[in-house]
Amino acid sequence: MNLFASRDDLIRWLGSLLQERIVVAPVRVQGQTMFQPISQIEEIAFDFDNTTLSPKGWFLPPTETLFSLQRDDGQVELVPTLAEQDAVLFGLHPCDAKGIALIDKPFLQDPGDALYRERRSRTTLIGLACRQALPECFCTSMGSAPDDPSNVDILLTEVEDGYIVQAVTEKGKALLPKGLAEYKGKVPTPPKLLTVPTKEVISAMRELFNDPYWEQVGDRCLHCNICAYVCPTCYCFDMRDYTDKGKVERVRSWESCQSPGFSLTAGGYDPRTTKGERLRQRFYHKLLYFPEQFQDVACVGCGRCVRDCPVNIDIREVISNLQQVMEAKSGS
Amino acid sequence: MSMEYQPKVIGFLCNWCSYAGADMAGTSRMGYPQNIRIIRVPCSGRVDPLFVVKCFQRGADGVLVSGCHPGDCHYTEGNYHTRRRFALLREFLDYLGIAKERLRVEWVSASEGQRFSDLVSDFTAELAKLGPRSKV
Amino acid sequence: MGQGARFEMDMELIQQIRDKARKLLEEGVVEGVIGYERATDGLTSRPLFAYNPPATERLIFDETCAHNLVKYLLDKKGKKMAVVVKPCDSRAINLLLNEGQIERDKVFIIGVGCPGMVETNWNHKSETLQVKCRSCQLSKPLVYDFLAGQEIERQTEEETYSDIAEAEAESLTTRREFWMEQFGRCIRCYACRQVCPGCYCPVCFAERLEPLWVGIRIAPEENEMWQTIRSFHLAGRCIGCNECERVCPVDIPLSLLNRKLEKDVKELFAFQAGLDPEEQPPFATFKKEEKLEFGE
Repeated sequence: MNLFASRDDLIRWLGSLLQERIVVAPVRVQGQTMFQPISQIEEIAFDFDNTTLSPKGWFLPPTETLFSLQRDDGQVELVPTLAEQDAVLFGLHPCDAKGIALIDKPFLQDPGDALYRERRSRTTLIGLACRQALPECFCTSMGSAPDDPSNVDILLTEVEDGYIVQAVTEKGKALLPKGLAEYKGKVPTPPKLLTVPTKEVISAMRELFNDPYWEQVGDRCLHCNICAYVCPTCYCFDMRDYTDKGKVERVRSWESCQSPGFSLTAGGYDPRTTKGERLRQRFYHKLLYFPEQFQDVACVGCGRCVRDCPVNIDIREVISNLQQVMEAKSGS
Repeated sequence: MSMEYQPKVIGFLCNWCSYAGADMAGTSRMGYPQNIRIIRVPCSGRVDPLFVVKCFQRGADGVLVSGCHPGDCHYTEGNYHTRRRFALLREFLDYLGIAKERLRVEWVSASEGQRFSDLVSDFTAELAKLGPRSKV
Repeated sequence: MGQGARFEMDMELIQQIRDKARKLLEEGVVEGVIGYERATDGLTSRPLFAYNPPATERLIFDETCAHNLVKYLLDKKGKKMAVVVKPCDSRAINLLLNEGQIERDKVFIIGVGCPGMVETNWNHKSETLQVKCRSCQLSKPLVYDFLAGQEIERQTEEETYSDIAEAEAESLTTRREFWMEQFGRCIRCYACRQVCPGCYCPVCFAERLEPLWVGIRIAPEENEMWQTIRSFHLAGRCIGCNECERVCPVDIPLSLLNRKLEKDVKELFAFQAGLDPEEQPPFATFKKEEKLEFGE
């Protein structure tokens, strides 16, 4: 059953949630919008197109201490890092919610990542359906939709004077405020998006590993990591131990396969020394390896990489091109 | 004295002049504040701006780079490079909010033990007035 | 300030670029041509690597072509390449020649005069000139093998660094808070380094473990280390293409760092990078009699 919350209802509800939980929401930061924990409801940017970084950073922060060891007088104490409080992640679009569901697959797969698992179970996702699509959006081609409720606990859809509130899971239902009336009005039609033909891309990937296409695109790639860092489904990281006066901290930070030296092994061997090889890796992970392992393509069509790549390496173009290259090969 | 703020000073002293000068201050029993921790380098030209910024990042309140007087460098030219490098770095760090008074470049020869002692006392007093770096 | 570059796609200029590129490839003078083509938004541009004559038909040049293509020459060492070069980009050529990173006879420079590039994002083209273009007075590249189109007289005023002077006049605390807030946003993607023609160290100081200068933690202190030292490594070398600021995904105002250093290097050492491939860079030389700040 759909419920209705006025703008004031929503603000009051979020305010009450803020009393006892962390609320992570879109916030304006110097002309951009970022997901951040807020201290006041006024900080929330309700009208935004798309954030700069995806909300995956709440579950997999750009940098975190996994645990620390304290050594005093021969005693060693292990201090794990734990999620402090319950949290609410508010305002994520269906594409970003799907991104989190995709990252769940490797991170919650047994034995799972303890930190990620804890933060994930203690966070309730309140999604916001998209009233409009941006030119770079293509979620409908990647298994999602502007009004897709599948991966959130509660989905809000903006209407004339408030929001349709749809509880999707028991976790979401438990968080709803009391006294919301049933919504009997019209449910807005989601925006239409351009489609990217993806039917044959996985089989094309299987055949085109050694194709010169990758070096051609790789020519202009800067290997700057922007695509991986803004992406809702990229999750590579690096870990280092830092020692300082008897205290050892194991730190984990974002890294990406695009960085030169990412795959450098001890002894000096690097399987991906050329630009094309590094570029190819990211597309293969998203469009072949991840689907083969987890039965779902690791791209949600949010368009951030399209928007932010300084040299316009456009995944939609790559997906089209791969199928064209295949067609040309099988035709000849 | 121990309850007041004690600035942490790192000093990079060139082996041939400044370090010898500091040594002389010691052997002649000229006291100087214990706030300074000395790192010996072959030449003031060895001091990479990286070292200085790292010192500040790790909690130093002041950094001293000291070498031979220009014209007297043991390696002939090292301190000319030091001079250029740190003239620019001081300005840049000040622009970023690290007061330029916190980075000192001085020329101390092997016989200038008194000068070294006075200089460290002066620098420490100035830093005590400026306060801890993280607060500025 | 911010007057838009008003030029329609100059088809004559573009045809000259295409014709030259095609000829160079047909005659085997170069192995490839690096230029610009239209991006997938149909509005802005992106780098194009043309290795055969038909590909040269995609070459364009308009007010969205801000990218500095000279960096790509470092990926193609040993190969003779042609590259489309604006006046600011030609300073990068001089820098890399000066530092022995490219060989003059391995580059065919297709120079273009430039009326100024506008600020763009994907699918957005503004009317505002890029920061670096507002005080550029170069009517044509400083070095080229072929000039496509005409020299373009710029109606700009000389660089006064007024915004830098304003920043310098703020209090120390204000400056500190400003920069720590800016550095706090850095996500250490290293896009600034990757796009910069002056950043080509085989192992960047930030990747070193022994000694550990920066490390992998992404936090304001580490970011400050990264930003401060990278800027300083470009002091006297930065040629002002401002690509670093353009590509930064979190909009850190890097031109406020680079231009401060450029201003001070000019004042202290009367030097500007990239104007003359033979000139001694300021930190490779010295004047015995100069006093600077430390007396003597």
